[in-house]
Amino acid sequence: MSNKSISAYPETGWGMMFSKFIDTSNTVIYNVAQNGRSTKSFMEENRWAPVVDSLQEGDIVLIQFGHNDEVSTKPQSTTEQQFQANLAKYIEDAKAKKAIPVLITPAARRKFNADGKLEDTHKVYSELVRKVAKKEKVTLIELDRKSQELLQSFGAEKSQWLFNHLKPGENPNYPEGKKDDTHFSELGARKMAEIVYAELKSLNPGSINEHFFKPKPKK
Amino acid sequence: MRMLNKISALAIVLTLCSFVLSEPEKITIYLIGDSTVCTQPLSQAPVTGWGTPFAVFFDKTVKVENHAKGGRSTRTFIGENRWQPVADALKPGDYVFMQFGHNDEATGAKFEERHTSPEDYRKNLVRFITETRAKNANPVLVTPVSRRKFSKDGKALETHIEYSKVVAEVSAEYKVPMIDLDTRSRELYESFGPDNSKLLFNVSQPGTNPQFPDGVNDGTHFSEYGARLLAELVLDEMKKSNLDLLSRVIKPASK
Repeated sequence: MSNKSISAYPETGWGMMFSKFIDTSNTVIYNVAQNGRSTKSFMEENRWAPVVDSLQEGDIVLIQFGHNDEVSTKPQSTTEQQFQANLAKYIEDAKAKKAIPVLITPAARRKFNADGKLEDTHKVYSELVRKVAKKEKVTLIELDRKSQELLQSFGAEKSQWLFNHLKPGENPNYPEGKKDDTHFSELGARKMAEIVYAELKSLNPGSINEHFFKPKPKK
Repeated sequence: MRMLNKISALAIVLTLCSFVLSEPEKITIYLIGDSTVCTQPLSQAPVTGWGTPFAVFFDKTVKVENHAKGGRSTRTFIGENRWQPVADALKPGDYVFMQFGHNDEATGAKFEERHTSPEDYRKNLVRFITETRAKNANPVLVTPVSRRKFSKDGKALETHIEYSKVVAEVSAEYKVPMIDLDTRSRELYESFGPDNSKLLFNVSQPGTNPQFPDGVNDGTHFSEYGARLLAELVLDEMKKSNLDLLSRVIKPASK
């Protein structure tokens, strides 16, 4: 989701592509997502409090966590209980400022089994996101499900185009090459952003449709 | 003793100077060309010129100035006074990467204002080369990146035959390094195949992209992904020509 530093290119967060969908004449988008963060570490590192401070009525907060919460060996991981409580906290803080929180299930990882079927790597934590969205009555974007469908449609081999897969010598930032099945290429990031865009368009939380880019009418 | 001090002081100054001189001078790479190279506005997203991802391949000693502009041929690029400011700004050691052709070769009444005959195209390229070399800078020719056009049996077809040939002739005659992006890009499209190569271009279904609400099927302009893969091909071709510039390609900080 996050903005990447140039040294990490072509790794691309879907937020970088999503920001291109926004009408800059009436909207400002802040992508404060960071690699490696969980619902817990994002708060502990004081990344959330400044967002809350700056929230104004009618602002929209898109929230996607899970990748780092669900890996129990990571220090920033959270238990299922903590994960739900933290998501509820983000929602509560946003609502307190009359902003509109939107929960997003985590984008799928590229992990295919021997039969060429994609594995459901966020099964438990995505379900928790759904549960919290339902309980707190907030809009839910099904990025996990939709991105799994996308990866499956590309298949085991071609889905690597969506991810930061580089051959040795191909890209100066990764001289030894790279096979990253979590982080996206420009293509994958754009496809993820398109999923989020399509879902938001149809659900229209906070009248977000007024804030998408509008092309000038053709002469 | 005092004299000796002065001498050693002088020696230190000289050592410092030679150290400073051994640091690579800062240089600028100028990109001149058309819409397939240029910086694109947000209103055209996802359209991306290959100059955009190419610009981040270099270390801090290199500045990349992308002067390419959509719709321009060699003739209109000169006519609109886009070349002269580059020629004036060139310093020894700078580079000029030039990729034109798409608009030079465009024919029909609609494109009369930009069309350039192969003869004039050749003259204009030679002018860019001569004026670059006059400033002790380095010209690099780039054959025009291919359009997406496939034969029925899945071969990527040549779309710039005549103009790419001129580039190759000028490269040989004037001994200018050449990036054969036309050939390399066709190989790339073929590796993706007729259908999947659309992922490299500005192709989208209606409703998926706010910039192109009715959908778009553009076989000339690239997506962010396509532009980066092309920039990587340009870099790879630079290795064939063994350009000095390669020493300035970014090296990741050791882990």
